[in-house]
Amino acid sequence: MTTGIAVILFPGTNCENETLRAVKAAGMEGKMIRWNSNENLEQYDGFILPGGWSYEDRIRAGVISAKDPLMEQIKEQANNGKVVLGICNGAQILVESKMIPGLQNVIQMALAPNINPFVNGFYCTWVNIKSNENKKTAFNLTLKDNEVLPIPIAHAEGRFTTIDKHLLGELIKNDQILFRYCDKEGVIEDKFPINPNGSLYNIAGICNKEGNVLAMMPHPERASWQHQVPSMQSYGDKAAPGRKIFESIKKYVKNQKGF
Amino acid sequence: MGEVSIETIPVSSMSDKTLNGFIRKNALALKASEAKLIVKLLGRDPTLTELHIFNIEWSEHCSYKSSRKILKKYLPTEGPTVILGPKEDAGIIELCKRGKDRYGIVISHESHNHPSQVVPYEGAATGIGGNVRDVLCMGARVIASADPLRFGNPFGRKKNYVKYVANAVVDGIAGYGNPLGVPVIAGDVYFSESFDENCLVNVVNTGLVKESEIIHSKAPKNSEGYDIIIVGKATDNSGFGGAAFASLVLDEEEEEFNKGAVQVPDPFLKNILIRATEDVFRVAREQSIELGFKDMGAGGIMCSSSELCESGGFGADINLDKVHVSMENLPPYIIACGETQERFTWISPPQFTPTILKIYNKDFELPNVAEGAKASVIGKVTKNKDYILRFKGDVVCNAPIEVVTKGISYDRKVKQLKRKIREPKLREPKDYNKTTLQILSHPNVASKAQLYKHYDREVQGLAVIRSGEADAGVQAPIPGDKVGYALTVDSNPNYCRIDPYLGGVAAVAEAMRNVAAVGAIPYGMTDCLNFGNPEKPEQFNEFVESVKGVSDAAKNLFLKGTKKPVPFVSGNVSFYNESVSGKAVDPSAIIACVGNLKDYTKAITMQLKEKDSLLFLLGPRKDELGGSVYYLINKQLGANVPKIDYRLERDMIYSVIDLIDKKLLLSCHDISDGGFITAISEMVLGGEADGKIGAEIGISNMGNSRADKLLFSESSGFLFEINKKNINKIKPVLKKYQLKENKDYFIVGKTTNDDKLIINNENKKMINLKIADLRKAWTTGFIEAMK
Repeated sequence: MTTGIAVILFPGTNCENETLRAVKAAGMEGKMIRWNSNENLEQYDGFILPGGWSYEDRIRAGVISAKDPLMEQIKEQANNGKVVLGICNGAQILVESKMIPGLQNVIQMALAPNINPFVNGFYCTWVNIKSNENKKTAFNLTLKDNEVLPIPIAHAEGRFTTIDKHLLGELIKNDQILFRYCDKEGVIEDKFPINPNGSLYNIAGICNKEGNVLAMMPHPERASWQHQVPSMQSYGDKAAPGRKIFESIKKYVKNQKGF
Repeated sequence: MGEVSIETIPVSSMSDKTLNGFIRKNALALKASEAKLIVKLLGRDPTLTELHIFNIEWSEHCSYKSSRKILKKYLPTEGPTVILGPKEDAGIIELCKRGKDRYGIVISHESHNHPSQVVPYEGAATGIGGNVRDVLCMGARVIASADPLRFGNPFGRKKNYVKYVANAVVDGIAGYGNPLGVPVIAGDVYFSESFDENCLVNVVNTGLVKESEIIHSKAPKNSEGYDIIIVGKATDNSGFGGAAFASLVLDEEEEEFNKGAVQVPDPFLKNILIRATEDVFRVAREQSIELGFKDMGAGGIMCSSSELCESGGFGADINLDKVHVSMENLPPYIIACGETQERFTWISPPQFTPTILKIYNKDFELPNVAEGAKASVIGKVTKNKDYILRFKGDVVCNAPIEVVTKGISYDRKVKQLKRKIREPKLREPKDYNKTTLQILSHPNVASKAQLYKHYDREVQGLAVIRSGEADAGVQAPIPGDKVGYALTVDSNPNYCRIDPYLGGVAAVAEAMRNVAAVGAIPYGMTDCLNFGNPEKPEQFNEFVESVKGVSDAAKNLFLKGTKKPVPFVSGNVSFYNESVSGKAVDPSAIIACVGNLKDYTKAITMQLKEKDSLLFLLGPRKDELGGSVYYLINKQLGANVPKIDYRLERDMIYSVIDLIDKKLLLSCHDISDGGFITAISEMVLGGEADGKIGAEIGISNMGNSRADKLLFSESSGFLFEINKKNINKIKPVLKKYQLKENKDYFIVGKTTNDDKLIINNENKKMINLKIADLRKAWTTGFIEAMK
């Protein structure tokens, strides 16, 4: 029996409803789990850490949630191959919990304050990303090669960065940089507004080496219906490109279970 | 009359002079005559707590003592689209019928002007906080915000403080609304020196509710013996006297004292409170439990508990020792009346109380997520209609509950202000290109992208049209359903300064045009009335004139398909918005309008869509440049404010709605600030300023006046784009509404493949600008003002 995807609610999360809706729209079961729930997580096929301000971004975005006992369980499930997607604040939590990039048992990266010549601090806009064609992971199984996804961002600290000089090379070599910011045609240039926050190497999302855990700053749940996408509103309720990420998760879960 | 067990204040035996001294010493805002009235109503001298209670209940903010009669006399508040009018914390407008149920859009509109002037970040943030509570407490899911903002002159005498206020207000809105997860979908910003010392920060919030699941702000039937539960942040002394503070003129010398009257925002706690409260809603529905629920805003526990119990026909007996507090030795009147943020009051049957306590205190762990926060039972609903507060074994307040909540009312004097207004005689501009760019870069016209991209516009995933993309924001509030609604805010301070009545009319008409321009039918409105000192007859007169203006417009711009007004379902009055020298802000009746869309997929934006389309101008250009951006850049104000011809206005609005419903328009924009030239430039540019389709206009198609009047007059109207092949489908719709070609509407030009805006006069290009030039002017004006 499948219980589907658990969408985790930390105190301060604010994207849980639409994330759960996007999970269901992609044809999966889904359920909201509170941070203090005593449920056994093993029953779930995968986990999504949605966006928001968990624990008020105290100290640093994602730090406190990363230390929440629940995250130990999620780590364990990820080690067993379960899919884990962190969106925005969820991505910050995955980096702070050392699950991303996950090459060493230390915090290897940070999501630093945006560098943006236009708006200081929190910045919400539509951008374009494309996935790494070289690597098939739980998150891009349904994407065509070179496919450009229009998708919104909404964050103040979304700039992937590291002090480890060798890390970027290693991530590239491992094909862990799954999503990068690009223009409408898919051309990647490290300049504003194509790269909206000054992220290293235009990184929008990084996965672990195994490809079952992804930290991404853009919000696929806000690009899952065409009415949400600027200039596509007249198509209403039909699927928009962001949904493919959830559909990929569904495919991955199905493959993993072998039925 | 009710007895108390502590010492009372000998108000009855004090001379007015002693009494005034006492009032000032205790930071009360009552007048001596009002204090004496309390003695009369209670039949004895009041306790200090009772004095504080009446001080707040009789403040302008709580009692609408100057405005109530005027509002009642003029404002239309009823109609077929009204689910709940202005009686409770928020109004409710019909969205759609589905099965046996009706869905409604809950809307509340408030000001937080004084707090935002003194402590702008916190002031703006708590403004949203209070308004969100108003919507939530109707049993709704809060789904959107809009922020009408008025700041001083960013290039004027007080520019440094003006910019500080403007930037901090915007940061406060972002800093609160973003974590909360409520998207901003509309708003406007005007800069004018009239707001140098008193900014206006209004906030509108909307929510979604099913009619059968509305929770009323009153104790339910037969609720004698029910528990009174407060939930949220631990009570402290922050925001004490906030309601009374809102009803005073700001004085720089008292700034430090005033800062203490501003509440402290906590969006993190509010986020969790919302989620926990939605869980209470859900469980109560499942168990068919009827509850009373109210936001705790002005007047804190006292206002919220007394109004809940009184409106149900009951009294209340409250033990202030049961209130969870975060400071020691708080006096009873601060516990009762302080305005600590992030709190609510429930009225619950005793058997359901443990469920409420469990949801807040255990499931959502309030005490662990915010220090001292929790849900506590503090008293009982009583059959006896007295309002009793106990503290450390004493009765500190014992008054008939109706006396507590009734408020007082004044008949304020009015006097016509003699304004020195006249039309200037301007020479025609030599260089129309230059004037066009000046208008586009004026901060009132220029793109506000820098501001709205600082707000989360996407959270909740309901977005259809965002702020900046069209004249109104649009959401799809019920996932999976085609129904949509549009939201806009409007009021032009420059028109209102010249003529508060016509300014009020214009604000209502423009708000309606804004929602019509995306295809929505105006269904209901709110008004936030921001004015000067009601005790000054000239300033009170501006208030009365504005109320008459907005009311007349609402009554004459009928709800589509009826001869009934478009109703006001909620509103707010903010007085004492004046400078220390006693000059009132520009009269500002700020209107929010909710439009209804049967099918949101038909909604359109303002950006031009195709080349070789035809451009239609609806609404003749008149000699109405008073308060226009064109006059402002020429350092003039003028006199001829745009006047609304109700018949024409209705027919323009209805025809645009029909044309969009028939999918005959490609893009549409209302004509307002800056006139025709702004409208066409913004359609070329689009919300993201990334437009590539140009336009070519023949000015001779627009009428016979001088070119500057045709291009820059802000007479009401629309500009829309159609595919040529549809012209014969469009004309019959316009004809149906008696709109005549070259009188009421004009085919003014076409869209082009060139990256240019060209306006031809005879054979000359009087305006010939590259889209890049338009973009530069339009995208820098606001940034310069805020820098």
